[in-house]
Amino acid sequence: MRSLFCSCLLLAAVLLAVPSVRADEPVKIGVMAPVTGDWASEGQDMVKVVEILAAEVNASGGINGVPVEIEVADDGGTPKTAALAAQKLVTSGVIAVVGTYGSSVTEASQDIYDEAGVIQVATGSTKISLTGKGLPRFFRTCPRDDEQAKVLAANVQKLGFSKVALVHDNTSYAKGLAEETREIFKNSGITEVYYDAINPADRDFTVSLTRIKAADPDVIVFTGYYPQVSLILRQKRDLDFDVPIIGGDATNNTALIENAGKEAASGYMFVSPPALADMNTESAKNLMATFQSKHNAQPSSVWAVLAGDAFLVLVEAMKAAGPDPEKMTEWLKTSLTDYQGLSGPIAFDEHGDRIGEVYRLYEVSADGVFVLQ
Amino acid sequence: MPDFEFFLQQLSNGLTRGSIYALIALGYTMVYGVMKLINFAHGELFALGAYLGYTLLVVFGLGGSLGPPLAIGLSIIMVVGLVSLAGYLLERVAYRPLRSSDRLAAVVSALGASIFLQNAIMLQWGAQYRAFGADLLPNVVFHIGGFNLPLVRVLVFVAAVAVMAALHVFVHRTRLGLAIRAAAIDQGAAKLMGVDVQKVIILVFIIGPALGGLAGLLVGVYYGQINFNMGQLYGLKAFTAAIVGGIGNITGAMVGGLLLGLLEALGEGYISVIWKDAITFLVLILILVFRPTGLLKERVAEKL
Repeated sequence: MRSLFCSCLLLAAVLLAVPSVRADEPVKIGVMAPVTGDWASEGQDMVKVVEILAAEVNASGGINGVPVEIEVADDGGTPKTAALAAQKLVTSGVIAVVGTYGSSVTEASQDIYDEAGVIQVATGSTKISLTGKGLPRFFRTCPRDDEQAKVLAANVQKLGFSKVALVHDNTSYAKGLAEETREIFKNSGITEVYYDAINPADRDFTVSLTRIKAADPDVIVFTGYYPQVSLILRQKRDLDFDVPIIGGDATNNTALIENAGKEAASGYMFVSPPALADMNTESAKNLMATFQSKHNAQPSSVWAVLAGDAFLVLVEAMKAAGPDPEKMTEWLKTSLTDYQGLSGPIAFDEHGDRIGEVYRLYEVSADGVFVLQ
Repeated sequence: MPDFEFFLQQLSNGLTRGSIYALIALGYTMVYGVMKLINFAHGELFALGAYLGYTLLVVFGLGGSLGPPLAIGLSIIMVVGLVSLAGYLLERVAYRPLRSSDRLAAVVSALGASIFLQNAIMLQWGAQYRAFGADLLPNVVFHIGGFNLPLVRVLVFVAAVAVMAALHVFVHRTRLGLAIRAAAIDQGAAKLMGVDVQKVIILVFIIGPALGGLAGLLVGVYYGQINFNMGQLYGLKAFTAAIVGGIGNITGAMVGGLLLGLLEALGEGYISVIWKDAITFLVLILILVFRPTGLLKERVAEKL
């Protein structure tokens, strides 16, 4: 009898603990970003951009009268922490999540969001297979690596290089991009004279560089991240090794100039979605102005802006379909067609991939500015 | 590139890296020699040196206002001073209270100090990579045939070797050095002979961190990029170097460090970049299999 009473009490407590959704209660959107760790500067800007946009949405009356609340979780840029961050967001009751940056990090969180029925819009995870898993509520505002590999290879060819050295850093993103690019080179008559990885935890890449020098390429294609390419650019200059480097979108970060120094960085090329300064939409310009006045700086990369885009499409979906992940997913895949995001028009295909060409070629000028080619 | 020039290039790569490993390894080996304790927080003192150098040269802008040679000279003095102070405090707070307790307690305390320092650095300076700025030192490159030797690399190597030579003279030619050696052989007997062992321990905790801090500053100036967990990898490599050289043996730490750097560079240059660490550690394991006490065996048998 007593145990029955206890169970009844317990049941009552559980029932009371389940939140009842009321109209004036804010709707929660999660932001999973690398606020600490190697990619901290990317992650912190992602959060700042989404916070600015959320404040704007709330200032103009919220989503159909309901305010939006941002819940931030730090994934530390590592898959292990990402799983914890995803659990945290899911239990806090978000209906959709913006993020994250690294592909391997996103990969570790996908299933957790899927099982919880939460929409995830990745912002910098370009690895191809992420959308090939049949996860219905997964989207991304960044393009895929095969798109990037195509543009990278096309530019190598267009610039007249014929002997390439391919270098990656063994992360799933960089290796995937290197392999994609390698395949395209094979079919387009470009000779590969060197193919190897570096260890991103190292600081000294001079041995790799001397090996590359011995292989005598016209150009080095590096598919890794900006901290390492900064060191490579510097050490290449120190070795008096005069060969151009062309990189992928993970090197699109203005911290590269500071890390490598203007002299060593000048002439470095990379393919990337358009840089902030070249985003000519009205909304992007407004965002830059607000960001500048609030943080006295510009977001250091395009990835933060793609996080903003992810947030904005979620808001649009919520406005049109209500705060229900299933209906929002349906709406995003079928009805989102001519939406003008920060980085240009946004639409998704049935896999959740962004439709349309996004990549551009950039070159670092002598005074350390990323110039659209 | 002709084979011989390629070899020279790897040799210079290896010696530069190795001299930094050796500097850090000295801190591990000196503390172990006197206290039989692995100071796991040593890698973090190294990182602290790099960050203090960053604060002085970049945040306070000494590099711009004083000119490179004077600024770097001054920051070496200040970094070495501050990191040895940190080393002294570390001994006072984390190790001295546990001196008479079990050795395991001191090891746990060392690990705790390491985690504390690493996170303190992250909270103070942030989790991002910090750049030293490329224009700190003029970019002078010597050309010898097809072999290029940047001046910075020569300076790093010369600085490390000079410091190690000075330490060698200090330990083997001065009375304080004699006291260190005596305390390393037998603390009790040294006490009876009138050696102030407490002073020796403090001295070791000043010299070791000073060398580690200097190494941190050199890494910052040479590579131009630092991050808060850099002490982990460098600490592990230097610790390995100290073991291979024969832990507790000062010359052994220098030899072990240079050997590790050379093995890395040659393994990377001639075999494979990805397999570098596997190759290096395989060779080191083989060395330890055939010489379990390290290359330069400790002269006192019962110590090991």
